Amino acid sequence: MDKNEILTRVKGVVSAVLKTDSSEITDDANFVFDLGADSMQSVELVAGFEEEFDIEMDQDRALEVQSIDDAVNFIAEYV
Amino acid sequence: MCNIQDDISIHMEELYHLRQKNLETIFHPKSVAIVGTNKVKGTVPHDILDSILKADFTGIVYPVSPRETSIKGIKAYKYVVDIPDEVDLAILVFPSSVNHMALEQCGQKGIKSVIIISAGYKEVGAAGLAKEKQLIEIARKYDMSFIGPNCLGVINTAPETLLNASFAREMPEKGNIGFLSQSGALCTAVLDYARAKHIGFSKFISFGNKADISEIDLLYYLMKDDETKVILMYLEEISDGKALMKAARDVIEQSGKPILIIKSGRTNEGASAAASHTGSLTGKDEICGAAFEQAGIIRCDNIEEMFNKAIAFAYQPAPATEKVAIITNAGGPGVLTTDAAISRGLKLAKFSEETTQILKKALPATANINNPVDVIGDARSDRYLAAIQAAFDDPDVAGVFVILTPQSMTDIETIARDVTEIAKGQTKPIYASFMGEKDVAVGIDLLQQHKIPHYILPESMCSAYQAVFHFNKNIKLKVHRLPEIKGIEKEKASKLMDKALSNGRSYIPEVETIEILQSYGLPVPRGRLATSADDAVAVAEEIGYPVVLKVVSDDIIHKSEVKGVELNLDSAGAVKDAWKRIHENVKASMPEASISGLYVIRMIKGSEEIILGIKRDPSFGPVLLFGLGGIFVEVFKDVSFGVAPLSREVAVGMIEQTRAWEILKGLRGRNPRDMDSIVDAMLRLGRLAEDFPEIEELDINPLFVLDQGKGSVIGDARMIVTSTK
Repeated sequence: MDKNEILTRVKGVVSAVLKTDSSEITDDANFVFDLGADSMQSVELVAGFEEEFDIEMDQDRALEVQSIDDAVNFIAEYV
Repeated sequence: MCNIQDDISIHMEELYHLRQKNLETIFHPKSVAIVGTNKVKGTVPHDILDSILKADFTGIVYPVSPRETSIKGIKAYKYVVDIPDEVDLAILVFPSSVNHMALEQCGQKGIKSVIIISAGYKEVGAAGLAKEKQLIEIARKYDMSFIGPNCLGVINTAPETLLNASFAREMPEKGNIGFLSQSGALCTAVLDYARAKHIGFSKFISFGNKADISEIDLLYYLMKDDETKVILMYLEEISDGKALMKAARDVIEQSGKPILIIKSGRTNEGASAAASHTGSLTGKDEICGAAFEQAGIIRCDNIEEMFNKAIAFAYQPAPATEKVAIITNAGGPGVLTTDAAISRGLKLAKFSEETTQILKKALPATANINNPVDVIGDARSDRYLAAIQAAFDDPDVAGVFVILTPQSMTDIETIARDVTEIAKGQTKPIYASFMGEKDVAVGIDLLQQHKIPHYILPESMCSAYQAVFHFNKNIKLKVHRLPEIKGIEKEKASKLMDKALSNGRSYIPEVETIEILQSYGLPVPRGRLATSADDAVAVAEEIGYPVVLKVVSDDIIHKSEVKGVELNLDSAGAVKDAWKRIHENVKASMPEASISGLYVIRMIKGSEEIILGIKRDPSFGPVLLFGLGGIFVEVFKDVSFGVAPLSREVAVGMIEQTRAWEILKGLRGRNPRDMDSIVDAMLRLGRLAEDFPEIEELDINPLFVLDQGKGSVIGDARMIVTSTK
C-alpha cells in the first residue's frame, strides 16, 4: 500500500473519530494541538487505525504517534 | 575581559530582571489567553477559563481551542497566533505532549508571560524532564518567563485586576498575605482553610516544578508588592539554599516583611554512618532550620501554626514590648494564658495606679483588677470594654489578650462586636481567644471578619505575639555584615591542600589538617610529628612537659579506638615508654596500618572542651557546627549550626543557643572561658570552608578553651575531602 493511500485512509479515520471535515486536516496536523483530540479520543484513534488497516499496533508506541504524518509512517511499517 | 563566572553572573542578573518584568504582567495582565481550553466541565482546561470569568477579571479573555469556535459565549481561536490583539498572559492547559508547540506560538505572538498548568514534566521522570528543558529553551529564545509547569496557577485579588488563573474552587478574599506554594494540592486546602477563617490574600501562587520562575523570583516580586505585608511559603525541596537565604534577608532588610515557611521533609532518612562527628551530628533538617533562622525566616511546622502567626503580622500593629495585659472572664483560662505567655518569654504588664483605679471603678469588687484582669464570669460587654480600654491606655501595656469562656450570661456576639470596634485605630495589638467551639462560633466569626487575630488556644496566641515581637525587635532591623579576618594565608593553605590531596586520599590525618588550619590563623597546638622515640623526646623537651603522643596514620581515623593516644607524659622516660606502647597497641589491633610517626603536642589542662566542625550541604553549602566537645559529643548532641560565611552575630548566637554557653560563661564558680577565641575560630573556619569546596567534613574535637583572655587550642582535628581538584 503506498503512503498516499495510507494518508487518505488515516485522514478518514481521524475525521470520523474527531468529527472534523477531512478537507480541513493538513498532512502534518497534530491530533491534540491542531485537531483538539482529548486523551480518550487519542485511544479511539489508535483503535480506528487498527480496524481500518486490519493491524495490531504496539500500544505504547502507538500512543506516541501524535500527528497525521506520524501515523502514516507508523502504519506503513505494518502494511 | 569577562571570565565565565562573570558571564554567568551577568546572565543571571538579566534573567532576574526579565522575570521581574514578566511577573508584573503575570499578576496584572490586561488580556489573557487560555491556550488549550475546552467545554468539558470538571476538566482543568475548562475550569481555568471558568475561574477567570467567575472572578470578574477586569481584562479581556481569549479562549484558544483547536476545536471550538466559541466557549461560554466568547469567541475562541484555533491558535494563539490567530488572536488579532495583543495578549499579555498565556495560560497553557494542553497536555505536556504538545505544550511546547503552544509555547512556541506564544513566543511568535510576542507573549512574554506564561503560566503552564499541565503536569507530566520533571515529576514523572526523565522523559518529563526532557520536555521541561524544551520549555525552558523556548522561553529563553523568546525572552519569555513562565510559572510552572505542574501547578495550580496564580491568583491576584487586587480590584483593578481580579485574576483567578487557577483551578481553585473560589477566589479568596482580598488581604495582605502573599502565599507561595510548591504543592498545588496544598493550595486548594489552604484556600479552603483560609476562606473559613476570613483570611484574605494579596497574591496566591502555586509555582509547581519551578522550571523557570522560582520561589526566589517570587520572593523578590512580593518584596516590592505594595499589597503584600506578610509572605508565606510552602516548600518541598530547596534547590538553592544560599539564594533563598540571600533573598529572604534582602526582603526582610529592604521591606521589613516577615517570611514564614513550612519546609516539608523533616525526617532525615539519608543519615548514614559518617566518618566524622560533624557528619553524624548534622542532619539535613537541622541545617535547614539553622539556615532559616540565620536568614530571619520564621519556620512553621504546619498550616495552622503558619496562619496563626501570619494573621498576627497581617492584621495588627506590632507590639513595642513583650508586656501584655490579659483580660478574661474566667480564672482558669487567665492562669493558662499567663503560663503560656511567661513560658514564651512574654511578661505581664504592671498597671499604673491610674489604670488600677479605673479598673476598680469599672469592675465589681470581686473582680481581679491586677493583670491578668478577671472581669468575672457574669461579665457583659461593658466590663470587657472598660478593662480593654484601660489596658490600651496603660503605658506599660504593649498588647492586649482578650479571653472569653461562654457562660450563660455571656453575650458572645456583642462582646466580639465591641472588641472589633474598640480595636479600631489602636496602635497596640489586640488578640482574642474565645474558648470553646459551638457557642463561641458566632463571636469568632465576627472577630475573624474584622481582622482581630483569634486563637482557639491561648498557647497559640502567645506564640503568635512572641513571633511578631521577636521579628520586629531582633530580626527586622538586624543587619549582618561579614567581618574582616586578618592573618589568613590562602595560598599557603592551597599548597598544603594540594599536597594533602595528591595521593587521592579522602581522609586527611591530623598533622596535615592542623597545618592547613594554622595557615588560616586557627589556634594550633605546639608540637610536631616525631619519627622516632628519641625525636619524640626532643620535641617534648622543646615544647615542655607534659605532652601528648598520638599515632599518625592514613589508615587510622579513630586513634583512641586502637589505643593510639597517650596523655599527660611528664618525662623523657614516660615519652619513650608511651612510644613503645602505642606501636604495640596499633600492631595488635590494626597490624596492616602504616604508621608515619607519632604527633607530639603540649598537654592542655584547665580548659573546657568544645567541638567545631564543617559539613558541606548540597543546598546550603558549607555549614559550621558548634557544640560541647569531648567523647560524649554524639550522646549529648548539644550542638548548633550556622551556614558559612558567618557574621560575628551569628557565631555568637550559635554559642548562646547551646547549653555549653552556660558552662563557658563560668558555672558555679568556674572561671569564665575565652569566648572571643571561639568566635574567632568559628569565623576563620567559616572562611576556610568557603574558600575550599573540596572540604566535605572537618572536625576540631576538642578545641580546648582556656580562661578568658588566654585563648583556645586545637586538641585534635581531621578532615574528609572530595577530590574536586
